[in-house]
Amino acid sequence: MEHETYVLPLQIVGKGDVLKLKRELVALDEYVEQLKMRQADTAIEPHNLPKTSSSLNELSSANHLKWHIDKDRTAGIDFLNRLIEHAPLVHISFASEPTNAFMRKIDKWFRDNIDPYVLINVGLEPSIAAGFTLQTDNKYHDFSLREHFLNRKVLLMKSIKGNDHTPETT
Amino acid sequence: MTIWWLIVILVTLGAIGIAFVWLIAKLSQLHQAEPKQGVERLLDAVNSDVEHIFNEDFREELRNRGRLHFEKIIGENAMFLQQDLRLTTSQLNEYMKQELSSTLRQEFSKYEESITDAKQLAIDSIEKTKQTIEEQRSLLSEQLTKEVAAEKQRLIERFEQNMADIINHYVLEAIGKQIDLNDQLEYILSELEANKQAIKEDINHGA
Repeated sequence: MEHETYVLPLQIVGKGDVLKLKRELVALDEYVEQLKMRQADTAIEPHNLPKTSSSLNELSSANHLKWHIDKDRTAGIDFLNRLIEHAPLVHISFASEPTNAFMRKIDKWFRDNIDPYVLINVGLEPSIAAGFTLQTDNKYHDFSLREHFLNRKVLLMKSIKGNDHTPETT
Repeated sequence: MTIWWLIVILVTLGAIGIAFVWLIAKLSQLHQAEPKQGVERLLDAVNSDVEHIFNEDFREELRNRGRLHFEKIIGENAMFLQQDLRLTTSQLNEYMKQELSSTLRQEFSKYEESITDAKQLAIDSIEKTKQTIEEQRSLLSEQLTKEVAAEKQRLIERFEQNMADIINHYVLEAIGKQIDLNDQLEYILSELEANKQAIKEDINHGA
């Protein structure tokens, strides 16, 4: 994905979104092809197309693609295929279900700092209480409160023991 | 003593009897040696004298006296014999008592010595056993103390470890649902920023 020229909108977060977009775009392409067969002498205009999802609209606007143009649709499908095959994938889990706005901020940080085409799969892990866990193809990073507490168990025990030996001064 | 007296009396009686027999034999020889007339005359005279002197009453009296004397002697000797027997018996009893006492004393002494030795042996054995038991008890006590201390330490460590887990679990359960995810955004972004390089390298190497 090093020489990729297209932009991946923040609204498209995970691989599931990409697959969904691809299915939608392929369906749109088939619809246009059928329309062209039915109306061979008429040019396909944007108003001839069915209503598309906001993600697909975002993708087209971000990359200046027109879905009624065959070349753009093909380019879009190819781009989505490249994403499916080559885009870096991370799995991030939170204690509760994140909102779209929240995920957009996380996504933005990853696209800005890690890779512009990174795809994020979101999971739910209530046992971590707070924080998050991040899993890539190679590693598992635990930035949760649970891990934080576990790492400081010795400190907790020291604190408890220290309090045991401290005389009350009330 | 009495036995000797008895023997002397018996010997005396024997000598008297022999003398009496010898006297009769001499008289018989004399009677055969003299001529028949003189002898017969003498015999007659003797017989008449004998008959005269040793008549039936005198003989009876002599027999009675002899019998009485013999009974007296027998009685005396029997008395002496009885005294000697009593004395001998008492001496024998005394001797037996002394011998038995001595033997018994010696045997008792031996028994006492044996018992004392056995007692000492038993005491020594008991002392050794007691000492060994005391050493074993001390060793076991020491081992038990160590084991108890180690077990106590293990329990305390396990308790502390579990206590830390319990506290952690409680805190996570208590505050986990209270922390809004949006409130964590700053922390999450800071953590991501802090580990940016590692995540980047990890993704680039894995891609």
